[in-house]
Amino acid sequence: MAATDRTYRSIRGALSAACALAGVGGVATSRATDVETAILGYAEPNRVSALETVLQARHDFGSGYLGNFKVVYDALTGASASGAVPGAAVQTFTRPSGRGSYSTAPGETPLDDTFRDARVAVSGGLTLPLGRLSTATAGLYGSGEHDYTSMGANASIARDFDRRNRTLNAGVSFSRDTVTPEGGRPIPFASMTPVGADLPRLAGDGSKNVADAMLGLVQVIDRATLVQLTYSLSRVTGYQTDPYKLVSVVDPTSGAPVDQLFENRPDARTKHILFGRAKRQLPHGVVDLSYRFMTDDWGIVSHTLELRDRLELGGDKYLQPHVRFYHQSAADFYARWLLDGAALPDHATADYRLGAFDGWTFGLEHGRNVGRDHRVTARVEYYRQSGDGHPAGAPGDLASFDLFPVVDAWIFQLGYSFGS
Amino acid sequence: MIIAVQRRGDIQAGTFTAMAGPCEVLFEGCDVEQARRLTELAAAETLRIEHKFSRYRDDGAVHAINAAGGAAVRVDDETARLLDLAASCHALSGGRFDVTSGILRRAWNFDGSDRLPSRGRVKALLPLVGWDKVVWRNPEITLPAGMEIDLGGLGKEYAADRTAELLAAAAPAAALVNLGGDLRATGPRGGGAAWRVGVEDPGREDHAERVLEMRGGGLATSGDARRFLLKDGVRYGHLLNPRTGWPVRDAPRAVTVAAATCTEAGVLATVAMLHGRDAEAFLAGQGVAWWCHR
Repeated sequence: MAATDRTYRSIRGALSAACALAGVGGVATSRATDVETAILGYAEPNRVSALETVLQARHDFGSGYLGNFKVVYDALTGASASGAVPGAAVQTFTRPSGRGSYSTAPGETPLDDTFRDARVAVSGGLTLPLGRLSTATAGLYGSGEHDYTSMGANASIARDFDRRNRTLNAGVSFSRDTVTPEGGRPIPFASMTPVGADLPRLAGDGSKNVADAMLGLVQVIDRATLVQLTYSLSRVTGYQTDPYKLVSVVDPTSGAPVDQLFENRPDARTKHILFGRAKRQLPHGVVDLSYRFMTDDWGIVSHTLELRDRLELGGDKYLQPHVRFYHQSAADFYARWLLDGAALPDHATADYRLGAFDGWTFGLEHGRNVGRDHRVTARVEYYRQSGDGHPAGAPGDLASFDLFPVVDAWIFQLGYSFGS
Repeated sequence: MIIAVQRRGDIQAGTFTAMAGPCEVLFEGCDVEQARRLTELAAAETLRIEHKFSRYRDDGAVHAINAAGGAAVRVDDETARLLDLAASCHALSGGRFDVTSGILRRAWNFDGSDRLPSRGRVKALLPLVGWDKVVWRNPEITLPAGMEIDLGGLGKEYAADRTAELLAAAAPAAALVNLGGDLRATGPRGGGAAWRVGVEDPGREDHAERVLEMRGGGLATSGDARRFLLKDGVRYGHLLNPRTGWPVRDAPRAVTVAAATCTEAGVLATVAMLHGRDAEAFLAGQGVAWWCHR
């Protein structure tokens, strides 16, 4: 860009002061560098809690060149459902590492209490202009936690049409994830063994490749309305089984667990995602309505409907209520339990995230400017997830237990951003 | 003066002609009558500033300074503030931004032809150029006889800022002032949305418009693709180096800057042009958004 290597000191500060003295003061609204920080807390009472800190910086190098950089640090602790069914007697489970055990009271959902991890994710990207109407973006991503790493890259191009009222964009991304569970990966459908006994393990790490492609359109309808439509295709191949999750084998008459098997998922998954959004400026603020449809060859179909309504309170303050509804059907191989004596299916999981459920989110966000270039936001959200706790055909004792306990979660976020 | 007001969606757009070009003011949350009243206010302020600081009118403040024949002239508050700003710009730009350099136009006529002035003719004008020869002791200014000042390099941007500040106080919601491509917004549109403005791209010979988004602050462009001379394959742009009297070499065709005010944006864009081949390097150090056309 620059014809020489000379660097020039900034005269902007002194010039701003001189302009203010001349009677033309102003608030800087175009920032060359924006920094956003946020801290987010997530809590499911008696289950998982997470604390996440985010640092994000964006810099405008001029002439359409933009750079961004983001670091996220997560710390998770607590217990998560292992997939096993509740029993009428106390149940004892060996931890997935093979070292130690935990017990579950009668009728309680077995929770693996060893869920504790920290994750660091770093990503960065560059956007550059391609002629007058197009831009290209490329980025890299990496994250690591003690048993999981992910490395990825993405690239996209965008072009404006129709006096910049229409933008078409297309992108691809690729990532490779590796899971190295403590103690190694259990052989699919291996029975949980007592502490000290050898669990049959698969050799090596589990890895998977994720390839995504997307095509999108953003159209300005009028000065107050904008619509967006995106189609994405995602192909995941490789090890997708959760090495910590179990499926209970139960007695067909009493419903009592007789065995606990490690789950097994297919090693390929293809997802199609359609996303639509409309934003409209109204006298009181901005209404943002979106819908996402996902279907995959695991048999899951999901719908997400989301509404945000930003209310301008004047003086650079806003209040934004937010509601989201999510519904998904179960994967074909989702099984809350397996029956003793029946043939094993090719694949099975009791992970509630692959079962059928509804999720509701209600939230409220408030933002305000503090001084010239500083902004604070605060957000609180409540999430409630519910599924069928008493599925038809539950044998014996299982019929009296809640097999899909409601998950309640609270999310708090504080954000602070500044620019110069 | 002819003022027109037209509804465009939920915006009222008022237009008038001033500062040798088309001017536009956009309002949100107004009916047509309110918009007409506000447009009249904007046009009156713009014309007031144009008249006061024009070199061409013999009743303005600048004319009084230029016609004093070496005598000290006492100026009003507003003129004093602009002269202070001119002095600051001269100092901050290392002498590149100089309101006394307009006199060089006696030698240069950027009409697209190949008629360069003679070296002698340019050299003869140089003793009449240089802010350091001016004695400015607020509120009195003394120009050596024969020298002139031209606040044209600040006037349009200053007018955009002053007009926007008047409208910020008088208009019910956000407003945008566009004086021939020098812009100032009083703030974002309702809901924090951006103003979308079409700005003629002076870096392009076909004058294609670029659509820019603004949420506040000012935006100004320096450069004019139509004002140049071309001789022996060398293009001479219309920005003159006050120390040599010749066009700045290797200057971009145009520079657009977004900053807190239109005046600040305009000065940064002009000073960037005056840096010639180093325009981008200069802009990169300023911490503002900018676009440079070569």
